Amino acid sequence: MASKPEYIRSRIVKTYDLDEIEKLIKDAKVAHCMLTDPPPVVDEESVMTRLSALTLRGSDGISCSCCGVGPFTSRAQQTAHYKHHWHTHNLKRKLFGRKPISLGEYNSRQDESSNVSASDSEGDDNPNKPATELFAAATRHCKAFYTNPKGQVFCIYRCLLHHRKEEMSLDGEGHVWARRVKELLSPGYGRWAVVMVSGGHFAGCIFTGGSDVIHKTLHSYTTRRGQGMSQATRDQTGNAPKSAGSSLRRYNQEQFLAHVQNILVSWNDDLKGCSLVFYRAVGPINQAAIFGKPSPLRKEDPRVRQLPFPTRKPTFKEVKRVFQTLASIEVYDTLQDFQKALLTVTGSKVPLKTNSDISIAESAKKAQKPPPKVQHDRAKSRERVPRELPTQVTSSEDEGPCYIDSETPPDWIKTLSEQSSNGVITNSRKDLLNDCALASCVDTDSETETVDKKETKKRKKPTKKVEKVDDKNQVTAVKKGPVKIPASVKKMWRSISDKDNVTLEPILEGWEGDIQAACNTQDPIDGNTALHKAAIAAKPEMVTQILSAGGDPCIKNHVLQTPYAATPHTDTRIAFRMFQAQNPDKYNYSKSQIPGPVTAEQLEQQKEKKAQQKKAKRQREKEKQADKLKANAFLLLTDEQKKKVPVHEQRCFSCGAQLPKVPFEYDDCKFCQVPCLHDHRKIRPLNMSV
Amino acid sequence: MAVRVQFENNNEVGVFSKLTNSYCLVAIGGSENFYSVFEAELSETIPVVHMSVAGCRIIGRMTVGNKNGLLVPSSTTDTELQHIRNSLPDTIKVQRVEERLSALGNVIACNDYVALVHPDLDRDTEEILADTLDVEVFRQTVAGNVLVGSYAALSNRGGLVHPKTTIQDQDELSSLLQVPLVAGTVNRGSDVIAAGMVVNDWCAFCGLDTTSTEISVIESVFKLNDAKPTAITSTMRASLIDSMS
Repeated sequence: MASKPEYIRSRIVKTYDLDEIEKLIKDAKVAHCMLTDPPPVVDEESVMTRLSALTLRGSDGISCSCCGVGPFTSRAQQTAHYKHHWHTHNLKRKLFGRKPISLGEYNSRQDESSNVSASDSEGDDNPNKPATELFAAATRHCKAFYTNPKGQVFCIYRCLLHHRKEEMSLDGEGHVWARRVKELLSPGYGRWAVVMVSGGHFAGCIFTGGSDVIHKTLHSYTTRRGQGMSQATRDQTGNAPKSAGSSLRRYNQEQFLAHVQNILVSWNDDLKGCSLVFYRAVGPINQAAIFGKPSPLRKEDPRVRQLPFPTRKPTFKEVKRVFQTLASIEVYDTLQDFQKALLTVTGSKVPLKTNSDISIAESAKKAQKPPPKVQHDRAKSRERVPRELPTQVTSSEDEGPCYIDSETPPDWIKTLSEQSSNGVITNSRKDLLNDCALASCVDTDSETETVDKKETKKRKKPTKKVEKVDDKNQVTAVKKGPVKIPASVKKMWRSISDKDNVTLEPILEGWEGDIQAACNTQDPIDGNTALHKAAIAAKPEMVTQILSAGGDPCIKNHVLQTPYAATPHTDTRIAFRMFQAQNPDKYNYSKSQIPGPVTAEQLEQQKEKKAQQKKAKRQREKEKQADKLKANAFLLLTDEQKKKVPVHEQRCFSCGAQLPKVPFEYDDCKFCQVPCLHDHRKIRPLNMSV
Repeated sequence: MAVRVQFENNNEVGVFSKLTNSYCLVAIGGSENFYSVFEAELSETIPVVHMSVAGCRIIGRMTVGNKNGLLVPSSTTDTELQHIRNSLPDTIKVQRVEERLSALGNVIACNDYVALVHPDLDRDTEEILADTLDVEVFRQTVAGNVLVGSYAALSNRGGLVHPKTTIQDQDELSSLLQVPLVAGTVNRGSDVIAAGMVVNDWCAFCGLDTTSTEISVIESVFKLNDAKPTAITSTMRASLIDSMS
């Protein structure tokens, strides 16, 4: 019925089309759905006659009109009926406007479906219901509805007919309304003004017969763009800010107020001629602009009326739209169309577009097909556009920019790093880089292959340094490109990595030359020194020997491990720590990552302690085992036997655990915890007869 | 005797007071003027108790009672309940009820013998009502309104109902209640009868707006002119009706 989703189109007639209007409103009457019943008037005479005969009628002859039962023969019968559920059911049916049902029907329904409420799925529609619905919708609506003898129904905004404060009686025939709508035809009625103020925007226009006569728009910066709300509203909340922007906005607000009022004053004569003035001004600040002292408009003026629908930002376009909307009268050709439209509109908000709106929108759509504009979503990363890489080095001779390309050999790093390194061993990234370069050199065995480009570079800046490097000792010599590991060092390394070899004494004792340097010589492959190698091979004795021979424990290999950190073996670590304890001043141990010195006695003590702990643990486990055995034995007993066990040997009846000092118990059964008791109870319910 | 009274410039005195044959409840926080009208009329015969329900003053709409007892909604606090129990005579049963329709005064209209209740009232509440107030309970509507407590004012001698109640309904209701009923208004045309007035067997209080015609209707239907109830109409009535029917 009324809830069909279809949207009924209506014809639009503009109030300034006087001929059309005249035809339309000839003999128009207020639509029936708008009219209310007259208020209840107690008929005094009938009350008085009843009062004069104020006696209780005999209970005979009295029946229940709601259920159609009776007359009741006795009071008992009557009360029994009124207390019956059937009566209540019928009462409710009556409230929903349905016919009462007979007792038999009621009983059969109760039997059929006791759970289905009787108030649904019944075909007997009360004809009153849609009418009341329509009335509710109509009285709430911002438009007034009229019918004319042709059967047409038309809707006009109520604000065109009367001021909001003015109450127009809808009782009886609604003659007042009919008279008001006739006023639309009176000469000069078509001159309206629309004034809108909001957020520092002003738009005003005076229309005559559907076209604008005067209009003016104004904007000034008064609202806070970032945080929202106008400056004046913000100031009212207390502690007004003193920023430059806020004072600017305050000043603008004052100027805006004065400006708007000036405009309205200059329109004074034109406004006087207007039959209606519509305004939109929310809040005291905006209202002050329109109704302030110098302005000719007064709020109490019956011509001055609020706009009955929401509007957008005050612009000239918007003012024109508002006027068109106000001036349009919806005409439905039949009452049914109107009813459907009204109920669907009030039920689900179908926007009431006027024809002009639609046509404007459509034409606008046709006129400007939106060009395919590239919209960047700045929240997302954009796709990368593939660009060519710069390929060739143009001038390597000069100090111009130097690019890396695919042809650049990988060992170019070496030359660069050599420039920066000053030949002193430091545990820095730079050294690591250097070492890597060296390693790569060794791998490829291409020391001699140096490109001219590199050669020139190398020569250019660090000539001094290179010479210096040449003078330096063996350590730095190692760092240079042509690495020469002395055969003796190689031999030492081999003997360290030899599995069977335990001691390094014969080699170290018969060493010729700088033994310290030999010990600190780093393997170009992984940066390990002799000490590293000994530590990794897990040979504590060798470690001690190398340390005493001068092997620095602070040197890091290519994975930045000191010898101490490199070893996987506990005894080797202890060897490091013991050496530190014996020779606390030999090296700067702070960088060696050795956690601290340790002596033989301390080690002994630790060992003893561990042994004791182990023993205690074993003991505890043993006890636990014994306890478990006891518990199992106890659990095997029946409840009666358990009760007979001496109290101090009793255990939890359910899990066999030791009992707490005060056990949980019932029926002489004892438990360690409440859950145990519950479990027991579940298996063996309490004998209630005991 | 019907008296016009106002509660702080409000004519709906039935909202702020409750009158029965054995006690009168008035809302706290009113002006002394309001209390003095009640006390002048009643204090010689029945106690006038100042009270609130759940901190609200609309006690007339929240509570229901007669000479036998008083029902208060579940929102009543313990202190308020204690205060009521202390202030009322011991013979009056005071009971707190858990009812979804918590404005008991709006959904129940009763005199000392019969109660009309909202058709949706809980069965448990109906039972408590019958026990505490010692009444026969009927589910009814008044002029198509379910809020029987709002649209009907009853005493043991008569009743005033919503102005749109049909004659047939009035007859039915009056036969059910065993008292004569008339349709009428209070407070210059207000159809919310029970909100506009309170009544017991010998006196009534209505809003200051009530017209003299309305007053005369009230006085006639509640038979207030001959004042002071006799034993026949109060204590002996039930037995008489039982024997007669």
